[in-house]
Amino acid sequence: MNDVVRSAKPLGSPTQDPATGRKAERSRIPLVALAGLVVLCALVTVSVANGEIPLPPVEAVKGLFGAGEPGTVLVVQEFRAPRMVAAIVAGAGLAVGGALLQRLFRNPLASPDVMGVTGGASFGAVAMLAAGASQVMMPLAALGGGLLAAVLLGVFGWRSGTSVTRLVLVGLAVQAGLSAAVSFMVVSFPTELAGSALQWTTGSVYGRTWTEVWSAGGAVVVGLVLAFVLHRRLAVLDLGDDSAGTLGLNTHTARLQILVIAIVLASLAAALTGPVAFVALAVPHMVRFLAGPPTAGTLALSALAGAVLLLASDLVAQYLLPVSGLPVGVVTATLGAPWLLVLMIRQSSSVNRSVR
Amino acid sequence: MPDPRPAAHVLRRVPLFVAGLGALAVCAALSLALGARSVPLSTVWEALTGAAHGPDALVVTGLRVPRTVVALAVGAALGVAGAVVQGITRNPLASPTTLGINAGAGFAVVTAIYALHLTRPVQYVWFAFAGAAAAALFAQALARRAGDLDPVRLALGGTVLQLVLLSWTSTVMLASKRSLDEARFWLAGSLAERPLSVLYPVLPTLVIGLVVALALTPALNALALGDDSAQALGVPVSRIRTVGGLAVVLLAASAVAVAGPLAFIGLAAPHLVRQLLRTSDHRVLVPGCLIAGPLLLLAADILGRLVIRPSELQVGIISAFLGAPLLALLARKVAR
Repeated sequence: MNDVVRSAKPLGSPTQDPATGRKAERSRIPLVALAGLVVLCALVTVSVANGEIPLPPVEAVKGLFGAGEPGTVLVVQEFRAPRMVAAIVAGAGLAVGGALLQRLFRNPLASPDVMGVTGGASFGAVAMLAAGASQVMMPLAALGGGLLAAVLLGVFGWRSGTSVTRLVLVGLAVQAGLSAAVSFMVVSFPTELAGSALQWTTGSVYGRTWTEVWSAGGAVVVGLVLAFVLHRRLAVLDLGDDSAGTLGLNTHTARLQILVIAIVLASLAAALTGPVAFVALAVPHMVRFLAGPPTAGTLALSALAGAVLLLASDLVAQYLLPVSGLPVGVVTATLGAPWLLVLMIRQSSSVNRSVR
Repeated sequence: MPDPRPAAHVLRRVPLFVAGLGALAVCAALSLALGARSVPLSTVWEALTGAAHGPDALVVTGLRVPRTVVALAVGAALGVAGAVVQGITRNPLASPTTLGINAGAGFAVVTAIYALHLTRPVQYVWFAFAGAAAAALFAQALARRAGDLDPVRLALGGTVLQLVLLSWTSTVMLASKRSLDEARFWLAGSLAERPLSVLYPVLPTLVIGLVVALALTPALNALALGDDSAQALGVPVSRIRTVGGLAVVLLAASAVAVAGPLAFIGLAAPHLVRQLLRTSDHRVLVPGCLIAGPLLLLAADILGRLVIRPSELQVGIISAFLGAPLLALLARKVAR
């Protein structure tokens, strides 16, 4: 456990002069952010231009902003934009949720996937499927399930304050219990329902509507803003409980606030797209590799990178895979995994032994 | 911390071990007696000694004895594998599952069902074993650095591998309805319809794994002090970790091959033993898991047979349902 805890501290080569090292890392954030924005814009263009009827990219972008032919505007705004925005918002929400949890628990494995939040979302949605409710109810059910997981986490994990080990263990337990419930329902379903349950629990942005995107997306944006507001407390918490207490921060309250924000963000994202694997786990690692130790800037970068990853994966799922209709979760895992593995191998030079 | 007087150390725990064995015997007896067609214990005894004949006796000797034996073997393998993997990674959250064992087996079996049109769990054994072993070895190869396993990389790499394999499994199942229908029952993890012949092919690997794990226990104690201290004590740290990793692969892959993915036993058994015996001495922990693993699995299996009689719930589902609150309660006690 100690190794895991230790490893999540900010990276940095011990031989490097701290001042210069910091400078170099700072200057990288805007550059990476710019690159991320360019990629995001390109992906948005591709996303609105392609579909059943391919459109010229310029026309499509114009249509996105309501200019151009009414037909184009309709196709782009009503059919393609919701899916695209859903992917962006959910990607950002998942990534920031993951980044907050990893930093809060100082554990590189902490993420909504491991802590039961997305498992709760799956549980809610699959339970709705079992009850025979319509597709419209699924995001609400997923949100409810995610919050249920959070409540379970609170009930079992809360005892006179927050202990990191306990919360992670309890999260693991919640995840396991909820996924057992899901697999129980999948086993007892007829094949058709089992298929759609599987589709949903892998995570998909297929057929999102503006109503869902506005409600869940708006809430995600509020959550993101709160995350940035609370970022300062996270930075103080990084100093350790004793120092943070000396600085006048109530560590338990601060940790609880951040935890709640992270869980709500992840549940909302999961309500929008289903529990897309991997974004929350991998993006913070990628950002740390690209832009250095965590700051408010890297938190924003995480949001951007999550959006890029999920949107790109959705495009791959839509247009590049031989089997159509596969959920985006398949692609995020397949694309994100080699990335994360390469990072792991490159980061662990023998110099950095104690910091991974 | 290794006790200077190992004999006394172990002796103090003898009553608890006896109690554990007693509970295991009770569970085994219940496992033979209970089910869709419950049989009185006296008849069970007569059937076992060969004195009774008829449908009840047939149920006991033909179905429940194999099932119970399989549960004992699988539970022991998973429990010990969990203790060893937590020892070599020094991570209480590690379990065979985090090495990608279950996900690897699941993916291999689903692919085999898709490509080769298999229909019975007996046919899955080798695919499951190969998939589980390949996944776990790959996770360990990823975590290997300078001839040693890095615990953090092992946990991270295993989790990554697991997520990828799970999503590929879903892909295959979404692409083919037939695979979904065949595989979803196996993927829940079950002991039903497992004749003893399922166990025979994995028996050698299981026994080798157990022997290696038991032999490693003193070295695992040294590892618990940290790499540097262990090295200073003359323990070949990297070799111990490699051998321990291989033992985990043998044990967990054998278990998964027989029973399908069972997530919780390997994680919960070591925690249970640590809490009950109030020790993290591996010389006590590993034998303790040898009892606690089958105990948990058998109890879950019996419950699965009873809750929705005459049908039954897969043991994988029950064990996760039971294990989750147990782990949550144990976690509450971790006062840190």
